Amino acid sequence: MVHRISIKIVGASGQGLNSIGAIVAKGLKRAGYCVFGYREYPSLIKGGHASYQLDVSNQRVQSTDTKVNVLVALNHHGLELNMEELKPEGVLLHVTPGWQFPEHHQKLIQERRLRVICFPIDAVLSRLGAKAILSNVLLTAFLWAMFGLDVETLKSLVGEKFAKKKALLELNRRCVDEGYAFLDPQEGKITVELPTPNKDFSTHLLITGSQAMGLGAVHAGVRVYAGYPLTPSSPLLSFIADLENRTHMVVKQAEDEITAAQFVSGAMYMGTRALTATSGAGFDLMSETVSLNAMIENPTVFVLAQRPGPATGLPTWTAQGDLLQAVNTGHGEFARCVLCVSTSQDAFDLMPIAFNLAEQFQISVIVLTEEQIAEALYTQEPYNLQKAEIQRGKLVTNPEKLKALKSSDRYDPNAEGGISSRWLPGYDAATYCAQGDEHDASGTVSEAWSNAKRQMEKRMRKFHTLKSTLPQPYLNVTLHGEQGGHWIDENDEIELLVIGWGSTLGVMRDVMFSEELRSHKIAYLHYTYLWPLCTAEVQRLAERSKRVVLVEQNYQGQLGMLVRMECGLDITDKILKYDGRPFFYDELLTLLLARFGRTEVASVVISQAHSRGSAAERAGL
Amino acid sequence: MSVAPRITQSALSEYYSETQCNWCDGCGNYGIWTAVKYALTDLNLHPWQVCLCYDVGCHGNGSDKLQGYRFHGLHGRVIPFAAGAKLANTRLPVIAFGGDGGTFSEGIGHLVHGVRSNYPITFILHNNGNFGLTTGQASSLTWQDHPMNTSPNGISERTLASMDVIFALNPTFVARGFSGDIKLMTRILKAAIQHRGFAFVDVLQACPTYNHFATHQYLLDKYFDVNAAGHDSGDLPGAKALAAQDQDRIACGILYQREDIPDFYERLTPRRGLETTCVEEVRKYDVSEYWREFV
Repeated sequence: MVHRISIKIVGASGQGLNSIGAIVAKGLKRAGYCVFGYREYPSLIKGGHASYQLDVSNQRVQSTDTKVNVLVALNHHGLELNMEELKPEGVLLHVTPGWQFPEHHQKLIQERRLRVICFPIDAVLSRLGAKAILSNVLLTAFLWAMFGLDVETLKSLVGEKFAKKKALLELNRRCVDEGYAFLDPQEGKITVELPTPNKDFSTHLLITGSQAMGLGAVHAGVRVYAGYPLTPSSPLLSFIADLENRTHMVVKQAEDEITAAQFVSGAMYMGTRALTATSGAGFDLMSETVSLNAMIENPTVFVLAQRPGPATGLPTWTAQGDLLQAVNTGHGEFARCVLCVSTSQDAFDLMPIAFNLAEQFQISVIVLTEEQIAEALYTQEPYNLQKAEIQRGKLVTNPEKLKALKSSDRYDPNAEGGISSRWLPGYDAATYCAQGDEHDASGTVSEAWSNAKRQMEKRMRKFHTLKSTLPQPYLNVTLHGEQGGHWIDENDEIELLVIGWGSTLGVMRDVMFSEELRSHKIAYLHYTYLWPLCTAEVQRLAERSKRVVLVEQNYQGQLGMLVRMECGLDITDKILKYDGRPFFYDELLTLLLARFGRTEVASVVISQAHSRGSAAERAGL
Repeated sequence: MSVAPRITQSALSEYYSETQCNWCDGCGNYGIWTAVKYALTDLNLHPWQVCLCYDVGCHGNGSDKLQGYRFHGLHGRVIPFAAGAKLANTRLPVIAFGGDGGTFSEGIGHLVHGVRSNYPITFILHNNGNFGLTTGQASSLTWQDHPMNTSPNGISERTLASMDVIFALNPTFVARGFSGDIKLMTRILKAAIQHRGFAFVDVLQACPTYNHFATHQYLLDKYFDVNAAGHDSGDLPGAKALAAQDQDRIACGILYQREDIPDFYERLTPRRGLETTCVEEVRKYDVSEYWREFV
């Protein structure tokens, strides 16, 4: 059984709850715990109600529980708003001396046997002659003592942060000692028991999805980055910019998203690897460029970080609402590839893959992420740097081969799989035009019907070639808490088949291995490659499943719509969430448990009218 | 990869394309197209050693009428594409072409930031005072009181003072050519291509079909070469005054140039001291040193 503890820090934006969260997270990780950090904050700089939650375990945890063991309230709003989230025997740490709990909260304290501690921050600070910002260190040190963590570890963490400022460092160390030694006059020594640590985690990285993606991009050979600030893509831009003096990349904060898209397209045309990232609103502006790149067969990679729309929507909250945008963006018909990252692991792994696909197929690859992934803090095993390869497809660089090229090789309509040779400006070879008008094989404008047909078929052939090479969706199976094989054979029957994508993977894996569900045979089919959409596996599994449910963070069930469009499989049972929040651990668990409590069986119907799968795919139904 | 000069001299014939020109008789594009080829040949650049980026408009239809690594993109967006291309491989001269429609209407933001950024590229404005390819609508550089397609009573807006806009951006190279003087244009283009930063070249061009105000004859009668007349291209107030004057005589030539301002790439701290280009640097990178702070 996975033993998990949740710690939530609440207060106003700008009060420093992120720094408490970050330092506690690092301390716990170094002590041998897997930590998953989740932030909620409003779209403003100071004030508003914000939170930073850490879910901690000695096994992998990648989700957030709505019920917490420890609540740290940096202001009285936290006491009013978040107290009911405490679990029985939970700890409430607050900093508002003389706070009178209203009657219903007094009742709550009694019923749940909550332990309430008021830390006299102001008194301690004035005694030490420390500024208000150091209250974070005091509280962190108190939490440290509560979890029974080694005080020297905290001192070294504080030292890392203030190594250059001697005076500050000394004061910080004194705050650590004060906070660590503090005893509540009523409650006395408070401890929160953590499970036995697993030392493997101590060497792991604590990393956000944005940072993982940034590292993946650098690993993939990205040398040019252009972007325009837009949450939740901005952390990636900041991370890449902060690294620029070490990576020696060209980093450009563009004047708008169109510029960013054009800038990286120019850089890719010239032959480097270039990346841009934006959110839905910015991607709207980039869509014309996506269409252009399809016509000139220019490999490009766009990161689309999703947040709820339409319009400015909920700027700092999460969604999976832009799948159909990614799949359909840009005018005209053309091949593109849409992927979505799910955790800090594939946020890294998919960057080299995205660039390889872009260059191999000479298409745009749209890598989706979500605010939830972009800002969540993952405990991540150090990345395997051997795994990725740089594959550049039919890029010609050999001088002899370059000499043999003709201009008409560039967009040769007879190229195998629709993928023609590509070579770069500056190389001694026949030249061509990357032509945005319909063109012949060398990029010369042609409006002839026969050429238009040939070139459209050439470009679209790449879609079919791509579809036949993309990996199938990833299958997680569990029975009695054991991870099953990735293959379900003819005789197997699945009790519940769950289909999802993006950040659902992390929470779904946690839920599958929960005490409550481990006795059931559950399969989770996770889509990483969302377009072109491979449906053979979902059809095969749906056939063997008693019940199928779609889990998505949008209103329409957009992946479900694509599945139905592609193969006719209509998943009628949907768990959809579109309030800006991710799926929480206990929430998804409850929703899935309800699927076992029900009696109706016919959750899957096949719409013959919409059946468009190949003969082989239909045979699986 | 290198763009090291070859022993063989570049020849005009290398730029020959079998694709026939399809501009109107008397179109200024013929002159600009010819001057570009002369300038590249004079600089001993072979077609594989240049990157030519075209915006959308009548000039863009020239993208397949010569050799060179070419690109023909979206309306108004050519400058950021050309900038991205150039910064990826600074060894290659990158020339961007745009019309007055795309450049001063849809894409004016890109022009502003292009000049401000001082990207090391050349920008050639095909300035025929209207949207030619969409059949003669007014651009923001069309004169008032001239009926145009979709503005039969003339434009209600005021004509944009394009040179005032450019000079407000602290440019490092401003020149003006005339499509009827290929020799002058060639001289300007050679200097522009060799310029340290963003070279803005305004070429006044005849549009015999739709522009009935600034005609070839009108421009021919009024233009003169300021450099031959003794103008010092380092003289900013003089350059501004010459650029603004368009009533009696039209000042052409290199109006303004300064070479002491570093271009955008030179100002990129992370690139200082590097001999390689971003194109050459594509490989797998060990990023473990960057994740140490996360442990």
